[in-house]
Amino acid sequence: MSNRPVRVGVDIGGTFTDVLLFDADQRRFVIDKVLTTPDEPSLAVGDGVEAVLSAGEHEGRDVDRVIHGTTLVTNALIERRGSPTALITTRGFRDAVQMGREHRYDLYDIFLEMPEPLVRRRWRLELDERTAADGTVLKNVDPDDVAALVEELRGAGIDAVGVALLHSYRNPENEQRVGEILAEIAPEMTVSLSSSVAPEIREYERVSTTLANVYVRPVIDRYLALLSDVLREQGIEAELLIMLSSGGICTVETARSYPIRLVESGPAAGALAASRYGNELGLSDLLSFDMGGTTAKACLIDNGEPTISTEFEVSRVYRFKKGSGLPVKVPVIEMIEIGAGGGSIASIDSLGLLKVGPQSAGSDPGPVCYGRGGIQPTVTDADLLLGYLDPDFFLGGSMALDLSQTRQAIQHEVADHLGIDAIEAAWGIHKVVNENMANAARVHAVEQGKDPRAYPVFAFGGAGPVHAWGVAQILNAPEVIVPIGAGVLSTVGFLSAPLAFDFVRSLNGLLDDIDWQELQRLVLEMEDEGRQILSDAGIPEDQMIFTRVAELRYAGQGHEISVDLGPDRPSRETRADIEARFDAEYRRLFQRSAPGNPIEAVNWRVLVSGPAPTVPLELLSTVEPAASVEQAQKGTREIYLPQEKGFREVPVFDRYRLGPGMSFAGPAIIEERESTAVVNTEALIEIDRLRNLRISDN
Amino acid sequence: MSKTTKLDPITLEILWNRLIAVVNEQAAALMRTSFTTIVRESGDLSAGVFDTRGNMIAQAVTGTPGHINAMATCIHYFLAEYPADTLQPGDVLITNDPQKTSGHLHDFTVITPIFSGDGLLVGFFGNTCHALDIGGRGMGTDARSVYEEGLFVPITRLYMAGEENRELFKLIAANCRAPEPVIGDIHAQVVANDVGGQYLLQFMEEFELETLEPLADEIISRSENAMREAIAKLPDGDYSNEVFSDGYEAPVKLAVTIRKRGDELEVDWAGSSPESGYGINVVLNYTHAYTTYALKCALAPEVPNNEGSFRPVRVVAPERSILNAQHPAPVCGRHILGHFLPGAIFGALAEALPERVLAEGAANIWSMQLSGKQDDGSLWTYVWFSTGGTGARPTTDGISSTAFPSGISGVPAEVIESLAPIHIFKREYRTDSGGPGKFRGGLGQTMDVGVTNGHPWTFSALFDRTRYPAAGYAGGEPGALAHIELSDGTVIDQKGMREFPPDMRISLGLPGGGGFFSPAERDPEAVAEDVVDGLVSVEAARDRYGVVIDPKTLEVDTDATAKLRE
Repeated sequence: MSNRPVRVGVDIGGTFTDVLLFDADQRRFVIDKVLTTPDEPSLAVGDGVEAVLSAGEHEGRDVDRVIHGTTLVTNALIERRGSPTALITTRGFRDAVQMGREHRYDLYDIFLEMPEPLVRRRWRLELDERTAADGTVLKNVDPDDVAALVEELRGAGIDAVGVALLHSYRNPENEQRVGEILAEIAPEMTVSLSSSVAPEIREYERVSTTLANVYVRPVIDRYLALLSDVLREQGIEAELLIMLSSGGICTVETARSYPIRLVESGPAAGALAASRYGNELGLSDLLSFDMGGTTAKACLIDNGEPTISTEFEVSRVYRFKKGSGLPVKVPVIEMIEIGAGGGSIASIDSLGLLKVGPQSAGSDPGPVCYGRGGIQPTVTDADLLLGYLDPDFFLGGSMALDLSQTRQAIQHEVADHLGIDAIEAAWGIHKVVNENMANAARVHAVEQGKDPRAYPVFAFGGAGPVHAWGVAQILNAPEVIVPIGAGVLSTVGFLSAPLAFDFVRSLNGLLDDIDWQELQRLVLEMEDEGRQILSDAGIPEDQMIFTRVAELRYAGQGHEISVDLGPDRPSRETRADIEARFDAEYRRLFQRSAPGNPIEAVNWRVLVSGPAPTVPLELLSTVEPAASVEQAQKGTREIYLPQEKGFREVPVFDRYRLGPGMSFAGPAIIEERESTAVVNTEALIEIDRLRNLRISDN
Repeated sequence: MSKTTKLDPITLEILWNRLIAVVNEQAAALMRTSFTTIVRESGDLSAGVFDTRGNMIAQAVTGTPGHINAMATCIHYFLAEYPADTLQPGDVLITNDPQKTSGHLHDFTVITPIFSGDGLLVGFFGNTCHALDIGGRGMGTDARSVYEEGLFVPITRLYMAGEENRELFKLIAANCRAPEPVIGDIHAQVVANDVGGQYLLQFMEEFELETLEPLADEIISRSENAMREAIAKLPDGDYSNEVFSDGYEAPVKLAVTIRKRGDELEVDWAGSSPESGYGINVVLNYTHAYTTYALKCALAPEVPNNEGSFRPVRVVAPERSILNAQHPAPVCGRHILGHFLPGAIFGALAEALPERVLAEGAANIWSMQLSGKQDDGSLWTYVWFSTGGTGARPTTDGISSTAFPSGISGVPAEVIESLAPIHIFKREYRTDSGGPGKFRGGLGQTMDVGVTNGHPWTFSALFDRTRYPAAGYAGGEPGALAHIELSDGTVIDQKGMREFPPDMRISLGLPGGGGFFSPAERDPEAVAEDVVDGLVSVEAARDRYGVVIDPKTLEVDTDATAKLRE
């Protein structure tokens, strides 16, 4: 690694592109926000980078690292803007990717919609070849068959191909052979093999992942090439690094081969930033809570790290319902996402109960209060009516909100049906959405065997600070933390991410029958691949961290659990230790284990990571704090207090003028440009040394 | 939160959501600790919570109607056998009594009473799972009485005050071909109820609820009212329909009359065939389950499924008819006819509510049971489920190869081949199997299967629709019939156990769903898209849709189509 002191993080959001520069020598941050250029996102990045460089009096060559996360993969999948793609698969199995699990995800709704595969049936092509479940090749690939398929694809102008053959997770030989033939006779085609994208058992999920990967590859390729150009134009020689959904970062080269691993790049950065704040504050366990306009995401941080899952669904087509999206098997920071945001619509259902979401008014027409033609009341409308939002200070005052229309809509659409007044209805909406989010977070926690009451809530996103205190009270959480710099939180995540990459191999069987030598070979192979990527990025060997994980279950079960194997490479000698670790984890999850039952391994994973860079979070706020709490107060406002079932005038504070060590009692409102923290009880609010708000029961 | 004295709509919504989260936890624990792909991959289970009176309040979103609704009614039998005041903490009850639960011996229902810290009974958790094996003849329709179908466990204590009933476990284990997974799943059922109970107590403590009854009453009465409102919208009158299944020894008629008066329904299956001499009979509890399920789909899909939503509906069938079979009639394959019931009901309602029903579909899931010897002489057995097409909807096509009305899932070929000596040669959509219509029925699939270990094997067929296709509605045409053929060219019957030599392959053509509205109304471009994808042949496009497709370009010949459709 070079000694250049400057790191740059770039986050492209729907509205703004944030660029954050950190100068380690001078210990300071430079932040710039520019409007996103949706048609050519790299343009805004160029402008933003130029702005921070010049504001920081740096030149491009001072930059050591640029880290970037993108929603482009998700958007390309949701909007179906990828390349014309074909699938090559085993004869007889071309419909696996559409049949899925032959399951309706909603039992009673006979009008449900199933996700359309990325490749229509016409372009799901079959090869006469076969591998058995034990890896034996029953029929080899005939190069002439592949050549014939290539002719067909060329005729149709298709140049992206996913190759996913049955049991290739066990033995990739045939799949690799197809890859070699394609490389030789059709070098112009972009090809992804399922055995390298997602080498895991279950054909539906593996094919789906492989297709998603290759479908977005050409788009991502072009985008990353342009982005690299833009950075070079700014004189930046350092390599561009990309945020993975798992919270690690990888090289552009890797991102280009496995773009599906970037699918949750943005939210992952938020969760990662939360964990960095936690580490800095000495809080190793946190509930990261990110509430935006359409959805809310909750993620548990444990022992300073978010949990990684290998299951994710992208592009849900039917009311955010689980099962209505395309499954992708890639490492993703485990989080739960529900249709609860500022734009979530409130309505009355057939039982006469108040429902909030998952439908969202989006940004067009948006909530009623935006005055853009929205007529259905939303969470933001309720928050406005309750006084939690200031009609004249929304987005720092750049957008005036319409109070009277909002009141009418809530009266008409909700209150009248329930026989209550508009304020009660608004409070109902606020409370129900809080409860929905708290429920989602609670389920998410208990699914992992965790007690949600133990986790401080770390709140960000546009609506996060408005609702966090309410959610925390439902969860019985010890406190709420609203970070300073919530507006650029993702970029903070980028700057603090270690270079990391995950590898997985399937070697399934009873521990009794495992070929330990073969396993050692696979583990070493994964370690070598990771070592290579890291050392190419300039990380010395002694700073690399290797984490080995086995996915194990009792023989006969279908659900495996992830077991950290500790410092030793798995071998016949460590077997007793592996079993003990499995038993402990199983007990933690399900209260009782079944010792004596044979244990079976499914997958083996290696995570290779470099050191996590330090980010001095205390430097994020540069505004000079006021001399006292009183001076940081910018006015008063009437807000709804649930305990009093009515309004009271409470102080409104300017977030930027609250300094470390200050404290005051709620109820109070703390405003900043992009969000408002609401404390509607007599809670205690303290400002910590990083200038975060810390809200707890008084 | 303050003590809940009166349940306002907002508090109720909050409590209700939480209760759903609790039962989902219960189901998740069950699936995650299960030892069989039937439970874990296929989700052949149900999980729910009951108040102390035995009213089902909430059920997990996972599961299948035959289990869910049958479980809702079965609890009353448990309480008759073991009244609530005789139960103590740590008790767990179990049965597989077909009459009292979900209609065949293969389903174990486990009920756990939940007690508060101070020893007060607060409710019950229950779940039902399909067991991999229960002895007897195995999963099939050949038995002549329930005694041949396997081990019968009457309502019994599985645990007594926390002590395992070891004798019962030993007895079950000794009677199964695959004791480990069967016993493992029973343990998973116990764990799931424990997990549910633990979260229920936390929930009650947090909201300071001393009993569940006020919440239950509110949810149940609101659900009942909503169901009544939905029923009231249907004009008064009698709605009738008849459908036919292949049956076993003879075709089976399922006749239904829905009598709608005010805000109540009586569903009468009189006129249906008498009991069969083979294992396709259905007990009334199971008939009730699929009847109420279908009515809810058509009339009030959004109303929570609980005691209240059943109350306005009465389900009757003559004793000893095939839909109200009495002990000891054989019942193992009861799901075959059970899965026909929603189609019969939708057909009865189709004229009055055409916008709320789907056309007939493949109906029963295809339960694939293969077994045989291993090299060491021991037995192997494996079960999975496959599906045909669903009926078309009045607004869109049916769904291909997807379970309806069952809520189960299929199992990946890679998982099947990894766990059993089975080879799957193909699993693909059956061209032209979707019933033509303005909206096409879902396609069935073709699945070719064999066994790889060089030993003879046994195949149990529990199939249907080889004689009576899934009907289309409102001018839509029927889906394709099922077809079962061996690699030696023999076409075999849809039911019964058969022995095959080692190298025999079986090719199963699963039925398609019926279409909705006349195929002459289907957009020719939509037909062409189906032809390009190989879902519809050029010939069928011409003969059944009246759309002429150029076989080279696969484009619509507009003039020829217009002429043909005249």
